[in-house]
Amino acid sequence: MAQVSIANVSKTFGAATVIPGVTLDIADGEFVILVGPSGCGKSTLLRMIAGLETISGGDVLIGGRVVNRLQPKDRDIAMVFQNYALYPHMTVAENMGFSLRLAGESKARIAESVTRAAGILGLLELLDRHPGQLSGGQRQRVAMGRAIVRNPQVFLFDEPLSNLDAKLRVQMRTEIKELHQKLKTTTIYVTHDQIEAMTMADKIVVMRAGQVEQAGPPLELYDRPANVFVASFIGSPSMNLVPGQIGDAGFMTDAGHLLPLGPHSATATGRRLLYGIRPEHFVLADDGFVAEVAVVEPTGSESYVLARIGSIELTCVFRERVTLRAGDALRIRPRLDSVHLFDEASGRRINDDAV
Amino acid sequence: MTRDDSEIGSATIRRLGNAGLYAAYAVAVVFALFPIAAVLMLSMKQASEVFNWPPSFFPETLSLQTYIYVLTETTIGRMLWNSIFLTLASTAGCILISAPAAYAFSRMRFRAQKPLLLTLLVYQMISSMVIALPLYRYYEALGLLDSHMGVILIYITVEIPFTVWLLKGFFDAIPPSLDEAARIDGASRIQSFRIIILPLAKPGLAAALIFNVIAGWSQFIIPFILLQRAELLPISIGVLNFAPGQTEGEITIPYLAAASIIAMLPALVMFVILQRFIVQALTGGAVKG
Repeated sequence: MAQVSIANVSKTFGAATVIPGVTLDIADGEFVILVGPSGCGKSTLLRMIAGLETISGGDVLIGGRVVNRLQPKDRDIAMVFQNYALYPHMTVAENMGFSLRLAGESKARIAESVTRAAGILGLLELLDRHPGQLSGGQRQRVAMGRAIVRNPQVFLFDEPLSNLDAKLRVQMRTEIKELHQKLKTTTIYVTHDQIEAMTMADKIVVMRAGQVEQAGPPLELYDRPANVFVASFIGSPSMNLVPGQIGDAGFMTDAGHLLPLGPHSATATGRRLLYGIRPEHFVLADDGFVAEVAVVEPTGSESYVLARIGSIELTCVFRERVTLRAGDALRIRPRLDSVHLFDEASGRRINDDAV
Repeated sequence: MTRDDSEIGSATIRRLGNAGLYAAYAVAVVFALFPIAAVLMLSMKQASEVFNWPPSFFPETLSLQTYIYVLTETTIGRMLWNSIFLTLASTAGCILISAPAAYAFSRMRFRAQKPLLLTLLVYQMISSMVIALPLYRYYEALGLLDSHMGVILIYITVEIPFTVWLLKGFFDAIPPSLDEAARIDGASRIQSFRIIILPLAKPGLAAALIFNVIAGWSQFIIPFILLQRAELLPISIGVLNFAPGQTEGEITIPYLAAASIIAMLPALVMFVILQRFIVQALTGGAVKG
């Protein structure tokens, strides 16, 4: 267990700068998730921490020591890959014990470590099988077992659940989280799935184009996204964003519709803004504004409603059953304390700007 | 009623199609096997039957007398041994050099990679005949003429390009994440190569083995140019210079035919043994699990 410090780490491939500079501090035992769209540099950053990619600039520190020049095996890390990367010609036990075998440990010690890890992950009956005989979820557990046997200071996960079907993914998410609670090892986890990030992380780091957009606890990113990118990335369905300006009576959209607004700072007036409201923060209210229902998608526990005011489309999610159909009129009101305002030019959230 | 007709019709067409296909197969097989069958028949004929007109395909009596003579009274044993030695030594040398080279091409990124691979491809296209005479001159200067070592070196050289390309293809099919996992587990490059990559590339190694054995066994121009002493000749040359007896004018064709069949057998046996791997290699079953 150790803290990890990423100090202004950058990466260039030839002439292309993929990561201009990332600074991040990860506390001992923390579960940090790097999340972002494809190509944002999260996997590259993870691989630089692992030692599978060279570091072009800056320093990576694990447990207080600079590891830039160290081989992966000397960094005291273990990695779980997206495609499991299990050795197909070895049994589960041999896969898990491989690192100890290379280190020259005795057969007894290897068996002891493997049995312990297998016990934690429920793999004791599968020790003599080959990876080809296992299901996807079992293979992923073997990959985790291999990592646990190394008893590292840091666990690194590179999109481990991406190859699993949806149902299995949900189950494995809980298992990984439980594992972390049991072992308390510092974990850095990469995914493109924001739900995984929200449900598992102690801290989420949202990345785009090689830069950190925002880092913080999941609910902070949900409640106070730093900019439009984070606001649309976190939360599903995405936040509704409507362009316009603040007028006397409230927020005036470009199309001329009025949206209600709570107290706001004076710096918000007089410039082009984006009005942000999450679909789940609408309520059905008789004193709300009128919209027309375009599509209703019931999921059983919720109802997704696509509502239209003129040319503006708003996605709403209601936790109750609604008896609406396409074409019906709808009266909705946003929760005023959940309205976000973003500067249109920079994308920055301005709600917390001082007056 | 109409439906039955069309069903029957299509079944008949299918059957006719199959028959046509098998007929085409038969023609191809006959073309391929006829020369070998003819040699087999020749090897069992008496000297007097060889120049019969009209020519007869089958011998009058099936006799293995020629084979017995060839095996016991001639130096064919020596020649077979030479072929085996040259083939095995060159195969081992070629794979020992090509496997790490292919691994480097597959796993490492370096600027000279593409030009080097293309160069290998171009070298492969150069036929032995083109290099034969200059080779003789160089070897004369180096003192490598008329030696097995010299011949083995050339065999290895001409077989490396294809072997490297072949093995590279199989190594490429193994996911690089396995190398990375091994690296994190603490394996050096050599350990990773030996313990992870090579076992997984077994079909590729078998294919390389087969190619090298057959190429080595069938080499003609190179040993023909470079070897003189009779005791060094491999069987591909030995069969040519075959002289079963002291008597002039003796018709030696049946003995030549028998020797040819014997020369073919080791390669054939090798092929049959490794056939399982060939099929696996051809159908791309490179990585398990």
